[in-house]
Amino acid sequence: MDDQKQYAKLFNDIDSQALISLGIILASVILLTIVSQRGLNWLANRLHGQVRFRIFALVPLTRLVILIVALAIAVPIMIEPSLRNMVTLLGAIGLAIGFALKDYVSSLIAGMVAAVELPYRPGDWVDIEDTYGEVKHVGMRTVEILTPDDDLVAVPHLKLWDTAIYNANNGKTSLQCVASFYLHPEHEADWVRKALRDVALTSAYLKFDQPIIVVAEEKPWGTHYRIRAYPVDPRQQFLFITDLTVRGKQVLSRAGIKPALLPPDMALEAPDAAGGRRGLRH
Amino acid sequence: MPQRSIKAASLPWEIVALEKFCTPQNTQASQWRRSWRATATWLAGKRGAEQQVKEEDELRLLPEVRLAHLVPPIDWSSAAALLSQTIFQHKLDNEPVVFFITPPHGGHAPIVSHWAEQQSVQEIVPPTYQELTDGSLAWVEHCAPFKRWAIPALERHFLRHSYGLQGVREFLERAFSGRLGHGVIGCDSWTYAYLQHAVGVEGAPVFTLQALEGEQLARYFADIANNGENNLCVYSTRTGKQVLAHPEEDETAHKASAHKELQRLAAHCRGHLGIAWHYWRARLRGPASAKEVDASQDTSQELWLVDALADAELPADTGDVAMLVLHTLLLHGGLEDQALGDVLPFSHHEALNARLALTRQGILARKEDGRWQVAPLSYASVRQLLETRNYLVDPL
Repeated sequence: MDDQKQYAKLFNDIDSQALISLGIILASVILLTIVSQRGLNWLANRLHGQVRFRIFALVPLTRLVILIVALAIAVPIMIEPSLRNMVTLLGAIGLAIGFALKDYVSSLIAGMVAAVELPYRPGDWVDIEDTYGEVKHVGMRTVEILTPDDDLVAVPHLKLWDTAIYNANNGKTSLQCVASFYLHPEHEADWVRKALRDVALTSAYLKFDQPIIVVAEEKPWGTHYRIRAYPVDPRQQFLFITDLTVRGKQVLSRAGIKPALLPPDMALEAPDAAGGRRGLRH
Repeated sequence: MPQRSIKAASLPWEIVALEKFCTPQNTQASQWRRSWRATATWLAGKRGAEQQVKEEDELRLLPEVRLAHLVPPIDWSSAAALLSQTIFQHKLDNEPVVFFITPPHGGHAPIVSHWAEQQSVQEIVPPTYQELTDGSLAWVEHCAPFKRWAIPALERHFLRHSYGLQGVREFLERAFSGRLGHGVIGCDSWTYAYLQHAVGVEGAPVFTLQALEGEQLARYFADIANNGENNLCVYSTRTGKQVLAHPEEDETAHKASAHKELQRLAAHCRGHLGIAWHYWRARLRGPASAKEVDASQDTSQELWLVDALADAELPADTGDVAMLVLHTLLLHGGLEDQALGDVLPFSHHEALNARLALTRQGILARKEDGRWQVAPLSYASVRQLLETRNYLVDPL
């Protein structure tokens, strides 16, 4: 009987005034979150360059701040915030989470960590497990990634704990692109290197304050060339790679340089050689 | 970029080394004002006109004949003489290559042409479009016999095309090594910026026209109007105050307020006379009450300068295709439609469509040689927008 009274005392008396206050807090949180998230996304989507990424980075941070402030106001309304009460409440919550909502809450906590550590933010191009695309939204539980195939993939923040996250531009405007060329071994390598560099230098998408590197690698079937360069805007990466590839092929073909003919089994085995997604960037 | 204090100069020209170029006072403030206006327009739609002392419907356009007297074309020959003097003073007569760069509409081509004429130096003929797209080096071979030569517009000697750099690279390599004797190269500042990255041109001395302050602009515009014989009174529609101070006026405060309006113009144009001249010519108006008089006989000296910086802005939400077209045109000092289609990474139809849309907005204008280029009145906002979007911009 005493224990029952003790637990009942954990919570304050929830009268109509307290209910109204909690309702107002809840409504304010929802309203402020929607307004800030939509407003910041709307603004960032209309901007370019570094400012765009800075505003995108504010999206999850703003939501986190709103939630913390709301909790700081709402908790003392519901419970007497003494040490004993807090330990009891957190213990009960921890038990429930441990058994039933482990992954869900783990994602929520990872979401908070993501808002502070910023391993990804809207506008970044990330590769998480097998999903590559632009981060469109960093939610409470998931991060939404729009792939080049126009699929919206929701990846739980949970992945943050044990998965490598590749961020291609990390909140900046520089994103390296790679265009690959597979050539027959009989050719003048120095000429090809210069010609491919000129192909990059004459691209309309090229960002000039970053280096252009042409890498040649000898393989059993021929030579693998890669142009590593940066587009003006990360969103232009596929157009940039296409432009480099199309014009690079034209130049090489006009010079009579033959492409390498890879054995079919090798083409299937090597994702780079098959022109896979990772092959575009690495 | 450093900004300098206003100083008087008897001639509008001053040729300086590129690293000594500095934009006029208030250039940064002018850029912020432009950004603010673009943001306000974007957020609130088309902005309302600013309050004017004199409304534009109370004014009329000046007839071409009168404009030709009031704002005659810039005579670049005196700048060419100054270029000779600069080369002599810096003891660069025996330098293999000297660059002279200005922004679009800035006069590098006529100045170097005048210089070549004054010095009886041979001009190198630019390659044909076919030679550029084929990567032909024939035009470079033809330069071998010259001992002294000039290129008025280097932008006509290259193309941002897979084969369009070979000729200019070979030419500059020979020129820098001294195998072609001595030469002066006039070059668009955007082309210069591009070739710095694509070919490497840092080895040669580079000169440019120093930016003009408002006071120098005021003196220049007063001098060129009917050779400075008439007492021209130009009032600002924005402030109602005189824009040009007269030499006989001694009141320093009055002079300072008069130059303020043109300082605003100088800052907007980054001190480039060629661009300021276009603004001045496009914005001069006469009082509408004089319309009964035969236009060609109209000699009234009261003129108005319409709010010089309004309505020449590029929208902040301009798309990528338009930005690529504008950047390409600036890098090449203007291009024809065929060439534009060849150097852009999309179809000729798309390039033409984008070019037409920009022309309709008044952002592009056709030059006398048939090439399309960013219009002088749009240049400032186009340059600023390209810079904010991380495109390569010129050093001026």
